[in-house]
Amino acid sequence: MLGLVFLWPLAASILASFTRAGQPTLANYETVWRLYLRDVFYTLGIAAAGTALTFAIAIPACGWLRARAFGPVEFLLKVPLFVPFVVVGHALRVFLGPWAPGLAGSWTGIAVALAWKHLGLAALLMLGAFRAIDDSYLEAARNFGAGTGRLTRDVLVPMAAPSIAVASVLIFSSMLASFSIPLMMGRGGGAQMLMIDVYYRFGQHGDFETAAALGVVGYVLAMGAALVYLRRLTR
Amino acid sequence: MTRLIVRAAALAVAAFVIVGPLASLVVWSLAERWTTGSAWPQRFGLKYWSRMLSGDFLEPLRLGIVIAVIVTVLALLMAVPLGYALARLSFPGRAAVLLAFLMPQAFPQLPVFASATREFYRWGLAGTVSGVVLVHLVGALVFAVWTMTAVFRAIDPALEEAAWNLGASTTRAFLGVALPLATPGVVASAVLVFLYSLDEFTGTLLVGAPFVTTLPVYMYTASQGYELQIASVTALVLMVPGAVLLLLLERFLKSEYLVFFGQL
Repeated sequence: MLGLVFLWPLAASILASFTRAGQPTLANYETVWRLYLRDVFYTLGIAAAGTALTFAIAIPACGWLRARAFGPVEFLLKVPLFVPFVVVGHALRVFLGPWAPGLAGSWTGIAVALAWKHLGLAALLMLGAFRAIDDSYLEAARNFGAGTGRLTRDVLVPMAAPSIAVASVLIFSSMLASFSIPLMMGRGGGAQMLMIDVYYRFGQHGDFETAAALGVVGYVLAMGAALVYLRRLTR
Repeated sequence: MTRLIVRAAALAVAAFVIVGPLASLVVWSLAERWTTGSAWPQRFGLKYWSRMLSGDFLEPLRLGIVIAVIVTVLALLMAVPLGYALARLSFPGRAAVLLAFLMPQAFPQLPVFASATREFYRWGLAGTVSGVVLVHLVGALVFAVWTMTAVFRAIDPALEEAAWNLGASTTRAFLGVALPLATPGVVASAVLVFLYSLDEFTGTLLVGAPFVTTLPVYMYTASQGYELQIASVTALVLMVPGAVLLLLLERFLKSEYLVFFGQL
């Protein structure tokens, strides 16, 4: 089942990326290099900015919540988990649209929307990691006069570093492969996210081979991230 | 006192950041007239809500529910035995099976679905409900197999061993002992899969186009036509199942299931 609908098409797309009109070639990758190199960096930039923004919010918020539990804020932080990607894209578009014109379809707007959606996952993983740290460490730090800020920076973050690394890899690769949020945020001119390129190359140009090569670039970028994730998960 | 102020400030910031975009959906769904450059709608009303309830919005909703029910039933029929086998038996290739069920999470889905769409054209499945069900089953099986494996792992094998000692066959012990104990987990898994299917967008857009329109696709089409109000009403409806689940099940669902939710 999974083989039929996932593994087979995955293999077929990798194979197709190296062929054109039935002949083995690297021409598709040349097209990617020529036309889409900028978009690859654009995508990496948005994913990096989005991940940084997610953790810039999630780490202080979760550190504060670890130090003093406060249900309502914790509940709010988890809300994005339950909002589908398409809805997030549209919500941020209409939220930013009238009140911050020009932001919605720009790279900042997309990064903000991606960060909003992944805040829930980041909060869930960070709170789990921070709560696994024994209270005695927190008490020791407090006895030396550390406030919540110091406590987060010097105790919680270093001790939860492996979990933070896994979470950021997971979120980074999810942002890299995001499709519905940039699609819903609107397509201006200029650079596009990689998955949007795949969609238009396949859907509008009917050029499956180049779309497949773009997809393989996405697989390779995500693969590096996935390897880290798997190594952690199967340990 | 300071502590109270800090808490109030934290709550206000969190409420603005999280609720703000969602509240703007409500504002948009009620905006009958809102010209560019204006910070606030000129006229509010229920026009778009009433249009939704009478109009072509019910058909995508109905179709989405039908697809979600089929996907849920099929996914659980496969995932319950498979999850049991993965949790209890050690067979060659067990790790490979688990790995295969992680891959759809780790890989960008869109190029794979584009490739699947091309294969589906060959098999006459593109643009059909069966094709959409198949593409939903990929994600659905990932959720279902992982949750069911976790559920069966949490059940003490000693209980089934006791049944075997009393002369029950493996099948009987599974049906009479393990499965009843796993019922809450099966229900949780079914809810997850149902909501995943209902909200699935990427695969439906690619495989279903142009004949199969579920709510997320309907919302995308509306927003592309700058019918932002209709898209906002649809977005709010799409949030209802998740909101109900968040309120009802947060205490029942283990956090490992919640992680799967982040992938919707």
